[in-house]
Amino acid sequence: MSAKRVAVRGTWQTLERRRWRELGFSLGLMALLAWLLNGMGFFEAGRLIQGAFNLARFAHEMFPPDVRILPTITGALLETIQMAFAGTILGFLLSFPLGVLGSRTLFPAGVVAVVRFLVAAIRTVPSLLWAVLMVIVVGLGPLAGTLALAFYTVGYLAKLYAELFEAIDPEILEAMRGVGAKRRHLIRFVLWPESANAILSQLLFMLEYNVRASTVLGLVGAGGIGFYMQAYLGTMAYSRLTTVLLAVLLLVIGMDALSAWVRRRYLLHP
Amino acid sequence: MTQPLTVLQSEETLTVPTPAVAVEDLWFAYREGSWILRGVDLQIPMGGFWAIMGPSGAGKTTLMRILAGLLPFPRGRVLLLGHPVRGELEPALRRSVGYIPQQLGLVRGLTALENVLLGSLARHRGWQTALGFFPRAEIERAMALLEVLDLADRADEKVFRLSGGERQRVAIARTLMQDPQLILADEFVSDLDLPRAAHVLAFVYRLARERGLTVILNLHELQLVQEFAEHVVILKDGRVVFESPALDLTWPLFREIMGDYEREALK
Repeated sequence: MSAKRVAVRGTWQTLERRRWRELGFSLGLMALLAWLLNGMGFFEAGRLIQGAFNLARFAHEMFPPDVRILPTITGALLETIQMAFAGTILGFLLSFPLGVLGSRTLFPAGVVAVVRFLVAAIRTVPSLLWAVLMVIVVGLGPLAGTLALAFYTVGYLAKLYAELFEAIDPEILEAMRGVGAKRRHLIRFVLWPESANAILSQLLFMLEYNVRASTVLGLVGAGGIGFYMQAYLGTMAYSRLTTVLLAVLLLVIGMDALSAWVRRRYLLHP
Repeated sequence: MTQPLTVLQSEETLTVPTPAVAVEDLWFAYREGSWILRGVDLQIPMGGFWAIMGPSGAGKTTLMRILAGLLPFPRGRVLLLGHPVRGELEPALRRSVGYIPQQLGLVRGLTALENVLLGSLARHRGWQTALGFFPRAEIERAMALLEVLDLADRADEKVFRLSGGERQRVAIARTLMQDPQLILADEFVSDLDLPRAAHVLAFVYRLARERGLTVILNLHELQLVQEFAEHVVILKDGRVVFESPALDLTWPLFREIMGDYEREALK
């Protein structure tokens, strides 16, 4: 057999081996999923059928929605929007510097490690728990919710931003060092403009997320529409709850539309 | 070799012309043991327009980066404009050496004018510039340079919207903004087709002549070297293997020098 044919045969075998590996991996993953679901009772038919009946009854009680409460919940809804915006912007203002400090592009490994640990610690705490903590710190109300969202935002955005900054083309940084730029110049003239698109994009994503998250913070007394959600759920006033949920749905859709518009309008970078 | 260091420091004793670049027995490795540069010796006079050629992996870019003060090197001696260099350049020297990397290193999200203004950062290191405020005189200078490079009407366009040739000229303008005596350009026209590359090089050549700059270019195309460079150096396996006036490097000679390398690479 010629050398060329041997080479082709080798390639073919590698390819086939790879296919088998992929197939094995997919099957393994499905087996894992089945095992996990089984552990939770997913395959118990009786339970599932009973669940469907419960759902139907619940749905029956939820409709029609009681719209008389709209004036009552409007204020809370606005407060929710306010919390989401303020929390996101506050979080962003903290995330940018932390992202810079947490990227190896500009700072030594020691600083980066400390900042990343801090950010990871912040990220570990879910937003609802931040809300509980903030209610303890600043008392009931939207301020607690806003601060909770700000912290939660920092946990994610600071990490994403640090990764963005590390992905910046090293040649640009090199060229800038070549013209004698200092660290502050690199932040202003490279990190910011080179990542502006992704920064904005992730900021919008965070805003969308925070609008959703802020609707439940009221469950723990941190302001916003969540207070009414909990109240109507607790008193089994399901038709009122439906109104609240529909209002939140509209808010979320509106927020997504706004975010899509901002993206279309301002994200021009190829 | 001359000892130009003392010469530059005291003008009265200026008797020997200082070379723009003097490299002596320069060694460099990114990973221990695998040398990229293996004892490079090179002297480039002030005001020269020199081309460095060589196969990929010969160490051309590495040499450029060392000359630009971006890589500390373990062995050898480098003098830039008479000043000894070891890794990072001191601010005064920094200003005199302009470096254009292969992909130009322009900030795509800034406008052409803003990119050119960045060339003045070494002169303005305060917080004002960090906030994006440049002195009016600098803005006028930057506009004048863009005008010279035929880019005045593109000044407010973001760099990612510019064509390849326009970007090249923005990079040149940024370097000229530094007011350098020496320009190092690392294959910066390699992404352009031959006529465009020639156009850009003609610009650089004319400006260098007008301003008495020393220019060192890494180039791939022999035609461009023959047309623009005065002198050519060929680097191969980390050593200087050929050096002559550019017109003496003919095609057959060039093929002969590069030839066995290409054959080796094909094997």
